[in-house]
Amino acid sequence: MILAIIENAFLSLIGSAIPASAVVMLAATGAMLGERVGVLNLGQEGLIGIGAVYSVIAVLSWGVESPWLAMLIGMIAAAVAGLIFAVCVVAFRASQVLVGLALALGGIGLSNQLGTNRNGTPIQTLFREVNPGGVLDDNDAVSAFFFHDPVVYIAYIGLPVVLWFVLFRTRHGMNMKAVGENPAAADAVGVSVTGWRIFYSVLGAALTGAGGAYMVLSFTPTWSPDIARGRGWVALAVVIFAGWRPGWAVAGALLYGSMISLDTTAQARGWGLPFMGASDLSFFLSMLPYVVTLVAILIPAGAVKLGRRVRSTAAPAALAIPYSREER
Amino acid sequence: MTPLGSIASAVLSVTPWRLERRLEVDAKRAALTRIGGAVGAMVVVGILLLLTGRNAFWIFWEALDAIFGRQRGIEGVALRAIPILMTALGVALSLRMKVWNIGSDGQFLMGALAAVGVGIHLDGPGWLVLILMAVAATLAGAAWMLVPALARAYWDVNEIITTLLLNFVALQLVTWSALGFWRDKEAAVIQSTREVPFTLPGLPGADSVTVALLVPLAIAAVLWWVFRSTTIGYEIDTIGGNPRAAAFAGIAVRRRIMVVMLFTGAIAGLGGMLQLSAPGAQAMNAGFSAQFGLSGFIVAALAGASFWGVIGGGIFIASMFYAGIVLQTKGLSVYIIFAIYGAILTGIALGEIAARYRMVRRGAEDREAENRDADDRGADARDADDTAVAVEATAGDEATQGARP
Repeated sequence: MILAIIENAFLSLIGSAIPASAVVMLAATGAMLGERVGVLNLGQEGLIGIGAVYSVIAVLSWGVESPWLAMLIGMIAAAVAGLIFAVCVVAFRASQVLVGLALALGGIGLSNQLGTNRNGTPIQTLFREVNPGGVLDDNDAVSAFFFHDPVVYIAYIGLPVVLWFVLFRTRHGMNMKAVGENPAAADAVGVSVTGWRIFYSVLGAALTGAGGAYMVLSFTPTWSPDIARGRGWVALAVVIFAGWRPGWAVAGALLYGSMISLDTTAQARGWGLPFMGASDLSFFLSMLPYVVTLVAILIPAGAVKLGRRVRSTAAPAALAIPYSREER
Repeated sequence: MTPLGSIASAVLSVTPWRLERRLEVDAKRAALTRIGGAVGAMVVVGILLLLTGRNAFWIFWEALDAIFGRQRGIEGVALRAIPILMTALGVALSLRMKVWNIGSDGQFLMGALAAVGVGIHLDGPGWLVLILMAVAATLAGAAWMLVPALARAYWDVNEIITTLLLNFVALQLVTWSALGFWRDKEAAVIQSTREVPFTLPGLPGADSVTVALLVPLAIAAVLWWVFRSTTIGYEIDTIGGNPRAAAFAGIAVRRRIMVVMLFTGAIAGLGGMLQLSAPGAQAMNAGFSAQFGLSGFIVAALAGASFWGVIGGGIFIASMFYAGIVLQTKGLSVYIIFAIYGAILTGIALGEIAARYRMVRRGAEDREAENRDADDRGADARDADDTAVAVEATAGDEATQGARP
C-alpha cells in the first residue's frame, strides 16, 4: 500500500519532470557539443532566450502555423548569435568566458526587449503530444513516460543516442574529440581546428535555441521576460555532472526537473510540514533545484578526490583554450 | 568533413590578414584597447538603435548632461557607484589569480540579508549596531563563497558555474525573507523586509551620499598596496600567472586560492551592508540588487584587475547605469541595458585581443620573415667565424621553418 503510494508519487514526479527539463536537456546537449570540440559557451541562458523569442515572433507576427517551422526559426536565430560568438572566440581567439557572459547578458537583454509587447500572449501553435493510441490510458502508472511532445523524445532519446554513437563509434567523433583534447594533433592530421570548432559551436547554439523554442511552443506556452530562469546555467552544470557524456546528461536533467516539479506540485497542493507552513515550504523548495544542481556537480569531482572513480569525469583538455598553429 | 566548417576555414584562409602575437604586451596599450573596445561597442549599439528610429546618442548625451550638470546627478552616480565598486573590487581581486567570481550578486545579497537580520533584531547604540551589521555582512559574504572556494581549491571544480548557481539560491532566500520570515507587515505596496532603523552618517556637504563611499576607495588603496609591496600579493600574482610554477616555488597554491576567494566574497558582502545603510534603502526586497554583481564584473573586466582602474571603470559604469534610468523614461526598456552590457563585454574581450595580437598581411609578413632570416644568417656569420659549422646548421633549420606555410 505505502509502496504503491511512493511509486505513484515517484512516477508523477518523473512524469512532470520530463517536460520541465526537456529544455535543459536540449541546452546541455548543445553545450556538450561545443565543449567536446573545446569551445565553452557560457551564453546558454541568452541563447535559450533568443530561440524562444524568435519562435514567438514567428508565430505571433509572421503567422507561422507549424510549430516545427517556428522552432526552426528560433534555432536559426540562436545559430546566428552562436556564429557571432564563435567568430569572436575561435577566429579572433577572444576570451571564451568574457564573450560567453556577454552572449548570456546580450541574449537576455535582446530577447526581453523583443518580447516586450508579446508578454503573456498565449501561443496557439503547439506541438501535439504523442498518443500511443488506446494501448494506455491517462491513469496508467507507465503513462508518466508517454503522452509527451515529440520534441521530448528527440531531446531525451534521439539526440543522446546519436551523439553517443557519433562520439564513440565513428571516426568523425574521434576527430571531434581530438579537436577538443589535443588540437595540435588534430591539426597535424589535417583536421581544420578552426572550422570544426566554429561548426560545432554553431550547431550547439542551434540546439540550445531549440530548447528555448520548446519552452514557448509547448511548456509555458507563452512568452514572459527572463524566460530561461537559470535553465541555461543549469544546463552547463549538467554537462559537468555528466562528465561530457551524452547519456549521463539525461540523469542530470531529470534530477533538476524532478526538483522543479517537486516545487510546483507542493505549491499546487499546498503541502506543509509540521515545522514549516505551506508558503515557507514553497520558498524553501524553490531554492532546491539550484542547490541540488550545485551538489550534483560536486559529486563526480569529490568522488575522484576520495579515490572512488566512478566514471571518466575529466573535461576536454583544450576546453576554453584558443588554438593557433603558431603558438602551440 | 563538415560543410560549414570547410566553408569557414576557407573564408578564413582567403582573408589577407592573420593574427600575430606581439612579443610584449604593453599594459597601457591593453587598457587603451579595452576602453576602445567598450566605447566602440557602445557606438555600434547606438547605431543599431538609430536604425530602429531612436536617437540613442542624443538621449544619452542629454542623460549625461543631466547627471554632471547638477549635484543631485553626481550624487546619484556616487550612490550607484558604491555597490558596483564593492562587487568590482571583489571580482578584480579574484581575477588577479585567474579565478572568475560570477557570484558577487549572491554574496552581495547575502551580506545585505545578514545586515538586515542584525539591524532589525538588535537594539543598541546606532554606531555599535552598524559595526555589527558590517561584521555580519562580511562574514555572510565570505560564507556564501565557502562551498565554491573549497570546491575550486581542493576538488578543482570550476568556480564559474558554482558561484553563479548560488546567485539563484541567494535571490530566492531574499525573496523568502521579504515575503516570509522578516516581512514588514505594515508596508502595503512593495513587499519587503522590516526597515533597519540606522543609517551611516552623511558625507559633509552631500545630501544623500554617506561615508560608505570612502570604503571602496580605502579597500582599493589597501589592495593596491598589498599587490605592490607585500609577499602575499606577489604570490597571488604568481599563481595567476602560472599555478604550476607557483607550486614548484613552494607557494601553498590551494590555500591561497581558498583565502582569496573568501576575501572576494567578504568584500561583496560588505558592499551589501553599505547599500543597505544608505538613507531610504534600509529594507530588502526581491529587487534589492539591481544587477550590481554583473555591473561589478564588467567593471573588473574593463579595468583588467587594476584596482585604480576599477575606481575609474566603476564611475563610468555607474554613470551608464544612471543614464540607463533616464533612457527608460524616454521609451527604452530596462532590458536594453543588458544588451548594452553584452556588447561592452564583447568589445572588451576583442580589445584585449587587439592588445595581445596584431593584424599582419599574409604576403607581406612572409616576405618580411624571409628577409629577417637572411639578415640573421648574415649577422651570425659575421659574429662567429669559428662556430661557422654550428651556425650553418641553425640557419638551415631556420630556413626550413621559414619555408613552412
